[in-house]
Amino acid sequence: MTELSERQQLSYIASQAADARLNVELETEGMTLNIGPQHPATHGTLRIIARLDGEQVVWAEPSAGYMHRGYEKLTEVRTFPQVTTLINRIDWLGSFANEVPFILAAEKLMEIEAPPRAQVIRTILFELSRIANVSLFLGDLGVQMGATTPAFLAFRDREYVLNLIESATGGRFHPNFDRIGGLKDDLPKGWINETTAVVKRLIGFCDENEDLLFGNEIFQSRMRGIGVIPAHVAEEYGLSGANLRASGVDYDLRRDNPVGLAWDKADWKVWTHPDGDSWARCWIRLQETRESCKIVLQLLEQIPAGPIMTKVPRIIKVPEGEAYVSTENPLGEMGYYVVSKGDLGPFRVKIRSASFNNISITPWVLKGVYVPDIITILASLYFILGDIDR
Amino acid sequence: MPKVPGLVKGLGVTLGIFGRTVKDGANTVQYPHEKESPPIRARGVIALHEDNCTACMLCSRSCPDWCIYIEGHKQLAPPRRAGGKPRQVNHLDRFDIDYALCMYCGICVEVCPFDALFWSPEYEYSEPKIADLLHDKEKLGEWMETVPEAPELEAGAGK
Repeated sequence: MTELSERQQLSYIASQAADARLNVELETEGMTLNIGPQHPATHGTLRIIARLDGEQVVWAEPSAGYMHRGYEKLTEVRTFPQVTTLINRIDWLGSFANEVPFILAAEKLMEIEAPPRAQVIRTILFELSRIANVSLFLGDLGVQMGATTPAFLAFRDREYVLNLIESATGGRFHPNFDRIGGLKDDLPKGWINETTAVVKRLIGFCDENEDLLFGNEIFQSRMRGIGVIPAHVAEEYGLSGANLRASGVDYDLRRDNPVGLAWDKADWKVWTHPDGDSWARCWIRLQETRESCKIVLQLLEQIPAGPIMTKVPRIIKVPEGEAYVSTENPLGEMGYYVVSKGDLGPFRVKIRSASFNNISITPWVLKGVYVPDIITILASLYFILGDIDR
Repeated sequence: MPKVPGLVKGLGVTLGIFGRTVKDGANTVQYPHEKESPPIRARGVIALHEDNCTACMLCSRSCPDWCIYIEGHKQLAPPRRAGGKPRQVNHLDRFDIDYALCMYCGICVEVCPFDALFWSPEYEYSEPKIADLLHDKEKLGEWMETVPEAPELEAGAGK
């Protein structure tokens, strides 16, 4: 602190007194602002109830459930092959990644393992769905701040990834390609060469995006130092994925617990950032897209030959037991707790989806921020409504 | 080297992309005038090969939202050899798929033990009225012409 001159001190005290007088004379009243459920910045139908004092948020609460589809209950009346169709729709931007933990949990109960070829192809498709998901985030990020160009670039390059997923699995958004004991089908001819070309293109997209958006001074001043989440708060609220790593916690299930998938065969890095602000969360996702591209390029060269399906009975009955498997999905940690009673379908499924926990921090992080920053903080937390409401 | 301001750098990216677009043409496809062909495996519409169907109801039962309606009856067919007994065969009376409900998961095609259902990448069958999305067995049979051969597999695919 620099020493203030007597004159400065006096003027400071005078201005403080003027402010105090003004506050007494103009007694302000709180105002409640509803953001959503039909607001474009909420990616669906999330409603944020914010109590404002002037331009500042005093209290905020997310109100989820406008798009609740009851998947946990629906899985109880479906058979195991039918459940993958449903859980595709949880996080609709990275659908293939939703299937994998459920299938792995079912395989754990049946005590079988997918053949190595299926494991590598699963990992490649998993990472491709992460690229498709996060590249949309990188484009959408600009739109939240009034820049439309990044969105066009993101949609252009995401299209190539979706075409790849479609030509391999048959579905652009809802692949339904994972089966208990392996995969539905093998890759079509020429897919590996196509994927290599597209993934190299996506690395170029990351560079473009970094120059266009992340280097922009306006973008930086809107993001840096805003919505800071310290590491201990992030851990207490159960954040996961890039939101947790942006707070400096080195935690990635792909490296720490690669259950039945082939991430350990590739050489890649888990990025963390010490700041924990909106900027760090976005930057981490950009780096992760690059790392995903690296993983895909490395795994494409080491797909082993062999079958893609183990021997499973035609009518799948999963033995009695309970299993929990979670993987590092595009949005964070996603897990399925499957309870089976030996029937055709699961007895009970608990879905731990990343976005639900990620938005639970909004009352904490939105306290004291200004109204325009609500949108940027929500954008940087990155949630998918289907993933919150299920 | 002095630091280039981010705004100028961003403008450079935009200009570069503009140049590429002028040179190579835009990525967008003007849909009704030009069409992209979907991949062979694309799940567009389900085609029915009626002769193979035995009305066993497996597809109808395994459908996650029960959008396949099947009715059939047993009837006697002439014997294969002269002097034999007449055979009992299942005859398909009704086979409807309600595309307003269908989730395009492909489980019905997968479970069919007699190869009666196929995926076709055809996608232009939207209707002004939602009730017209119920395709009967004649219409599903017409889609059979658009079913492509299965694609060749990548090297290393084993049995």
